[in-house]
Amino acid sequence: MIIKLALRNILRNGRRSAITLTVIVFGAVGLILFGGYKARTFYGLRESTIHGRIGHMQVFKEGYARSQSAKPLDRGLDDVTSIRKEIERDRRVKMTAAQITLMGLVSNGDKSETFIATAVEPAKDHAMNSQRITSGTDLTDSESDAVMVGKGLAESMHVKPGDYLTIMTTTTSGSLNAMDVRVAGIFMTGVKEFDERAVKMPIAGAQLLLQTKKVEKLLVFLNNTDDTAAVHSAIATRMRGIEIKEWSQLAPFYHQVVALYNGIFGFLGIVVFAIVVFSVANTILMSVFERTREIGTLMAMGTTRGRLRAMFVAEGVGIGVIGGILGLAIGALLAMLINRGHVMLPPPPGYTVGYRLEIMMQPPVLITAFLVSFITATISSILPALKASRMKIVDALGHI
Amino acid sequence: MTSNHVIALTGVNKTYPLGRLKVRALTDINLSIGRGDFIALAGPSGSGKTTLLNLIGCIDKPDDGRIIVDDVDVTRIPLHRLASLRRDTLGFIFQTFNLIPVLTAYENIEYPLLLQNLPRRERDARVRRWLREVDIEAQAKQRPDQLSGGQRQRVAIARAMVTEPKLVLADEPTANLDSDTAAHILDLLAEINSRTNTTFVFSTHDPSLIARAERVVRIKDGRIAGQQTADSRQQEVA
Repeated sequence: MIIKLALRNILRNGRRSAITLTVIVFGAVGLILFGGYKARTFYGLRESTIHGRIGHMQVFKEGYARSQSAKPLDRGLDDVTSIRKEIERDRRVKMTAAQITLMGLVSNGDKSETFIATAVEPAKDHAMNSQRITSGTDLTDSESDAVMVGKGLAESMHVKPGDYLTIMTTTTSGSLNAMDVRVAGIFMTGVKEFDERAVKMPIAGAQLLLQTKKVEKLLVFLNNTDDTAAVHSAIATRMRGIEIKEWSQLAPFYHQVVALYNGIFGFLGIVVFAIVVFSVANTILMSVFERTREIGTLMAMGTTRGRLRAMFVAEGVGIGVIGGILGLAIGALLAMLINRGHVMLPPPPGYTVGYRLEIMMQPPVLITAFLVSFITATISSILPALKASRMKIVDALGHI
Repeated sequence: MTSNHVIALTGVNKTYPLGRLKVRALTDINLSIGRGDFIALAGPSGSGKTTLLNLIGCIDKPDDGRIIVDDVDVTRIPLHRLASLRRDTLGFIFQTFNLIPVLTAYENIEYPLLLQNLPRRERDARVRRWLREVDIEAQAKQRPDQLSGGQRQRVAIARAMVTEPKLVLADEPTANLDSDTAAHILDLLAEINSRTNTTFVFSTHDPSLIARAERVVRIKDGRIAGQQTADSRQQEVA
């Protein structure tokens, strides 16, 4: 009877209930869309960070993190082939890619700039798809003295594919070494400051320039990001003389974005919570005032205070459930339409390219949106319910 | 109080605050009501008859004095803890019917039985019986706003009677009805009273209702101004 009464009382003043439900639906839709956008952003940023730059984990020679040596690759990996073979035994590992990072000067004969180079295995780097080539071609394993230059650096040095540059850096023994390189292509990552300093070169060329056979690190790529911790543990158990860092330790930007978005999402949640609380509380409170005589009648007939409270809380629950379900349905529909609409967003600060607005429909987001609607509507009904149950029967019966 | 009495009031006083003043609503009320009585509390508006009915119905508290309802001293118990007494012992009929608008006639009558946690089959049997008794079987599925005033009051009577209470309190039960409908409702109340031996106490200033009462308790300025039985009234007329 309590549920029947609650549902009928919700429908009793259809217009007012519709307005309240609209508020709840707006709240739930807002949470679903922003939550879905946030989930997609986290996922996209995580996967692009992993696959485009840092891998699921990176393997270094033991003591690398504590090393303060001024000489490059003083703590580099010597026997990368055997380490790679051991790591790739694990079926969860998709591939490994050796890398060296080096810095120095790049010159076109008239002008010099500092550069940060990433030396890669070209074939593996293709698979990472870490940059967009704007002109020229990608690196190949066969041409060790070719480089790709970041768009901003290429503009600064006035070079185009086929031109030559000279790059100079300190070798592993501490002396200076220079090398003429052909510009195979020009690329952009979207991060302006990086593209103004970036050079990419084959690892063989970098080893020639640095006069070493070592590599700085081995990037490990997995088939599934969720296996990271398990594979880390398995490798650490099997192998000695190395140290491993997982992607989450190597991606401070990712964590900053997560913290920022979670802060915004939390604030949005509080705003939605407040709006829903006031709206539902107002609706039920109005209902209490309108039904004062009815409340008096129910109490005169022997309805207990607890049962009366339950009746009004049931109305809040009913509004929350209906609003939550409608919110889920409309939120899911809007998310689908947005995903199909290929909406492009402008570039974020520090980036030169925009990105597509996508909403990821994850169960935790949907469950959160429903629970927020349901719980806030229920909480909102408690105060009016208490007010109703504390009425004096005589006063309530005499209410006009 | 003997077991023949359903109600006994002794030295009951009641005041209401009116701004800074206190208004005396009832003064030194002493009254006993027996089982099966059909009693009218008569008096002009503001005389205190509704206040007296509220005190008997355990929906208001006296300032002092004792009120015994069905052998329970209700003045010693907080009102919210008297819900079960109101549910099981008392039935209420209101001047403005006070039906629950979102429930059908059937559901309105069934509601007090739900409070008593009666099994569905017994509830159904009792509700159908009282729908028949008050002659509104055809309107069982209609909501209050689809019923006439007389039909609403019949539903209210059925709702008051369905729990088989010892005492039914009716506050001006015919005040909102036309004279023909009021007469039918009176016939119905009197017939239920004689058949079920349920005690009826109603407040009224309707002469036709007063004329039907076995005993009339006249209230004036918050005091009992006199009591008359049906026999004494007939002797007066003669």
